[in-house]
Amino acid sequence: MLYKVLVVDDEAPVRDLLNDLLRREDCKVCICGSGEEALKILQEDVFDVVLLDIKLPGISGLEVLKNIRDTNKNLPVIMITGFGYNEDLINRSKEFGCSGYIGKNMPVAQIITTFKQFAKCAKSGE
Amino acid sequence: MSTAVKEDREILHELLNNAGVIIIYLDINGNIIFCNKKTDEITGLSHRNIIGADWLKTLYRGNSNIIKQDMFKAVMDECMRHKREKDFEGLILDSDNNERIISWNLTPVLAENKEVRASILIGQDVTKIREAGNSAKNIDQTLKDILFGLKEYALYVTNLEGNITYFGMGSETMLGWNKKEIVFKHAGMLHNNKEAENNLNFILEQVKSSGKYEKETALLTKSGDPVAVILTVNKFLDSDGKHSGYIFIARDITEIKKLEYQAFQAEKLAALGLLSAGIAHEINNPLLVISGRSTLLAKEQLSQKIKDDLALINEQAERIQKMVDRILKFSQKTKIAFEAVDVNEAIDFILPFAQYGNLPNVKVEIKKYFAKDLAPARGDLHQLQEVFLNLIINAYQSMPEGGVITITTNSFENTHAIIQIKDTGTGIAPEHLKDVFMPFYSTKNEGKGLGLSICYNIIKNHNGSIELDSQIGRGSAFTIKLPFI
Repeated sequence: MLYKVLVVDDEAPVRDLLNDLLRREDCKVCICGSGEEALKILQEDVFDVVLLDIKLPGISGLEVLKNIRDTNKNLPVIMITGFGYNEDLINRSKEFGCSGYIGKNMPVAQIITTFKQFAKCAKSGE
Repeated sequence: MSTAVKEDREILHELLNNAGVIIIYLDINGNIIFCNKKTDEITGLSHRNIIGADWLKTLYRGNSNIIKQDMFKAVMDECMRHKREKDFEGLILDSDNNERIISWNLTPVLAENKEVRASILIGQDVTKIREAGNSAKNIDQTLKDILFGLKEYALYVTNLEGNITYFGMGSETMLGWNKKEIVFKHAGMLHNNKEAENNLNFILEQVKSSGKYEKETALLTKSGDPVAVILTVNKFLDSDGKHSGYIFIARDITEIKKLEYQAFQAEKLAALGLLSAGIAHEINNPLLVISGRSTLLAKEQLSQKIKDDLALINEQAERIQKMVDRILKFSQKTKIAFEAVDVNEAIDFILPFAQYGNLPNVKVEIKKYFAKDLAPARGDLHQLQEVFLNLIINAYQSMPEGGVITITTNSFENTHAIIQIKDTGTGIAPEHLKDVFMPFYSTKNEGKGLGLSICYNIIKNHNGSIELDSQIGRGSAFTIKLPFI
């Protein structure tokens, strides 16, 4: 197993796709559709990496990131977003302590490669 | 001496010495025989030194007054020769060596044989009166100078029928008419009479009924171009207070309108930026699914045909993703920042956007001649992209039947990047060439006429230049120079 990944995205087709793509990369994947659900899961289980959508119903991905960082400084959290390359979002994500940023407008293969690079960097920095 | 004569003398003495004017009695040679107290007071000269002295040399003493002495001597000679009184003004020095303006009256005294035997010189100090008058004149002149200096104002007056009787202040500059050619013409020619509320008759009626008209509107220049103004019209009253015409004051608000439009555009773009981000988000999610699923499916055991179709689906999805990305980048207005700009890349980036405005049945060919290894220009990428986009869209719009747009970039004297956008469109008439970069100039029905003026300002702010060369029926070429970084 490469990584145990929590995928958080409110769009079912997107989280199912990410689930399938990551499983093909030998990852164990858990999926959920909201920030509140993600925080609950993280209290009960341990993950290697979180792949976190920014725009979520209820609390936003950035708030989820902030919450995670309050209790766990080392857990790699990679933001993924349909807003693409957005300086403001990137800066705020970095400010709250993200480990990487991926735009959904990237080609699929690049999304996976970038995810693996960020996860590797974050894990090796532990 | 009898008491009566003595009293008369005393009265006369009192009269002369209490008079508020200079009274001097001169002999036939102009020597002072008598002068009153006022003379002593104003001149500050001792009475003893005055009596018997030549009046000119006494009152106009000093070398600087030699000319004055000659002048007044001539006046006196004429007065004596013709035996008639003369009024004139002159400056004298008072006891503090200050100049006083004296209004003189010189009257010859005739003997019984009608010959001149003496003269009486009466002088009133009018210094204060003249200073007040000059002050008023100065204020008036200053006011005129200020008013004439306010280049954005025009003032003209008409009679009751609306014929121009006065065309002053900045009217010539603003409206292009020479006052000689427009006076007595009807002021209606300055108004766009197709617009009901700008119609001169409407305006005059409004002033007649309510006393005033004030509205943001447009006046027409001699060349027929509109000038955005705030127009105030009031009744013009003659010296009897009778309504005899109308006074028009127009304030040119072209610059204000330009700033307002730019602010509006900026707000629109900011809103567009937000909207684009939202739309991009809504498009990127399903596109990811399309792209991702087709990629995964292609890894299954399928026929080559199906795999090819899946690859095509993926390719088209990626194409949409790239375009969405472009739109998002272009519509996100960041702060103006001068940086190294690759003009070739900047033009390539916006070219697809310009092409969207083109109708499918109109064939427009794009020819690009980009200089290789062109040094980067110093500029704000977004603003320059806006300029290039504007000019290329204009080129498309000038060719409703199709044509060729040629875009060339090059280096100019190793100091500037030179960019030329040329079309084979309708071209612009020579008399309009000087106005194309002016605000509100437009040859398009739907155009607001601010695109090129904004381009002009952007390039100027980049310390560059933009020029237009155009011929009717042959097309136009915009040439931009931008300094290298």
